[in-house]
Amino acid sequence: MWLLKNIPNRELILFFVITSLIFSLFSSTFRSAGNVENILIGFSHLGILAIGQALPILMRGIDLSVGSILALVGMVMFDCYIIFHMPGYVVLPIAIAVGTMAGVINGILITRFRIQPFITTLATMAAYRGLTYAISGRQLVPESATQAIDDNLLGLFDEFSGIFPYSFFLLLIVLAAAQYILSRTRIGLDLYSIGGNPEAARLCGIKVDKMIIISYGFSGFCAALAAIVMVSRMTTSTENLGIGIELTAITAAVIGGISLQGGIGNAIGPVIGAFLMGVILVGLTLTGISTYAQPVITGVILIAAVSYDRYKYYKLRSKNSAGESA
Amino acid sequence: MISSISNTSITAPLSKINISVIALPAALIIMSVIFSILDPVFFSGQNLITILHQSSIVGIMALAMTFVIITGGIDLSVGPVLAIAGVLCAWFLQISDDSVLIAIPATLSICFTIGAISGSFVAFIGLPAIVVTLATMSIVRGAGLLIAGPSLHLIREPESFLFIGSGLIGGIPVPVYIFVVLAAIAIFVQKKTTFGVLVSAVGDNHRATFLSGHNSNKIKIICYGLCALGAAIGGIIQASQVHTAAATYGAGIELDVIAAVVLGGASLMGGSGTIQRTIMGVLMIGIINNGLGILNVQIEMQLIAKGAIIICALLISQLDQRRSK
Repeated sequence: MWLLKNIPNRELILFFVITSLIFSLFSSTFRSAGNVENILIGFSHLGILAIGQALPILMRGIDLSVGSILALVGMVMFDCYIIFHMPGYVVLPIAIAVGTMAGVINGILITRFRIQPFITTLATMAAYRGLTYAISGRQLVPESATQAIDDNLLGLFDEFSGIFPYSFFLLLIVLAAAQYILSRTRIGLDLYSIGGNPEAARLCGIKVDKMIIISYGFSGFCAALAAIVMVSRMTTSTENLGIGIELTAITAAVIGGISLQGGIGNAIGPVIGAFLMGVILVGLTLTGISTYAQPVITGVILIAAVSYDRYKYYKLRSKNSAGESA
Repeated sequence: MISSISNTSITAPLSKINISVIALPAALIIMSVIFSILDPVFFSGQNLITILHQSSIVGIMALAMTFVIITGGIDLSVGPVLAIAGVLCAWFLQISDDSVLIAIPATLSICFTIGAISGSFVAFIGLPAIVVTLATMSIVRGAGLLIAGPSLHLIREPESFLFIGSGLIGGIPVPVYIFVVLAAIAIFVQKKTTFGVLVSAVGDNHRATFLSGHNSNKIKIICYGLCALGAAIGGIIQASQVHTAAATYGAGIELDVIAAVVLGGASLMGGSGTIQRTIMGVLMIGIINNGLGILNVQIEMQLIAKGAIIICALLISQLDQRRSK
């Protein structure tokens, strides 16, 4: 029992297993190896985005611009490869740099000018999407629209090793790195302190502004990685890439136990949250429920997850106050 | 809650001229002058009516959104509510033999209920408004698609319904009248009624309002209901204007609506904001859209410009708050 209590996100893992079992009973397609491949390759990029989203939420912020950053990075890759004929090993660092820069700009706007994260990222969501249209190689050079991005390196994440796609390994690397930073380094400790009480953290000498910029930069970095995975799978990019994906990423992070009160959560939860949504959405499709019901179900899951988070928060608070009075 | 880690002071000294108060009217005038110089067509009576006409739907939604933002909340679900209002209205018209008197009240009451439900989650369980309405945004959009599918639904009849969106009285479009009347009502409600005062009180200090014997939860729920009601009126006007209803309308309109309210100086932390300044914010967005359109600026540059202008406007008010500290 002692061991069981120390597993992180144990309710979530239990729910994940039960949901998977139920769908496996009802649909023979669901329990096939091919479907496991589908879910792994279809939701790995969402897992990466959810880890990225976790950091701003840990700091009591939010990043609504990840969908637009994703499109921007995708279009930069398209332009670099198709129009400027750069090799894959040059395109990748450029893509990552662009995404990280976009995130850092969010962070700078939030810290320098003290604009609320929600409004800042809402505005940059529009601005980055506009920038994507402005630099779109599909419109500047119309004949490029039909060309595929067929570089070996850039196509890497569409390939499999056994039943595991390379994008899943990328997710595991990001997960390991993020969890290591959060639980073993000074940066992680500072992040949790700021999320728990920003004013106290500032008075302790933690550089709050720097950490906020780092967290939004990391979110942009993860959006760039997700863009690389998506472009790799589609072998092209469009201006509409990733519209509305910020909702799914935030949902995955919140389901994964990243508290909107700040300061609570780990990097593993969002990944389980992302795959839980994958299992539910794919499972419902395979059992024959209309695709239009999917946004309804996503919304209901999100409300249920935050209600549970709230319930845990109340319980923790009442336990703490009981402890004080005793 | 989602909140910035900021330590800005709320009170500014009254003695000196407050930049954040005069910044918005000044910006409105400066932008109008610039657009008029660049293209004289901008400053014609006809174009001014066009600006009002173009911003009437966003304007009506922003009026209602102001109340929600004053309580310290936010409503992201207005876009899908706008769409579902059009769809519901088309459906009610169909089953009630084109009776506008049945269809419109029925649509409005359903949409009010949708808003009140998200309001209840915010008020009773204390969930963050942004997450609740993010979820209802998804739920209402999906529900609209389940009801109506992705296709367009034509509304040809009756004349009285089409008059709402495309009729003219004395050469001025009907939506402009609706916007002006609703704006007058909203100003009256905020300035002269107990409800208006209580909304500000809830946003300022939820607990204190509750302790002084007011049902603060009820006020929050009504605010969210009103916000959905505003979106529904916008949806009915739009459906009547384009003679179609579709579950896909209104994507991204929440950005314009919230931007208009925030440009007007309402703080997302709650407690501050007035209807008059929201109307100025609406006009500002209307002028940006109209001016950039007249100057033939490409849509992608319009998106970038809009994002940049909103951030600049917020910067000015923030700088002023910091200086006064």
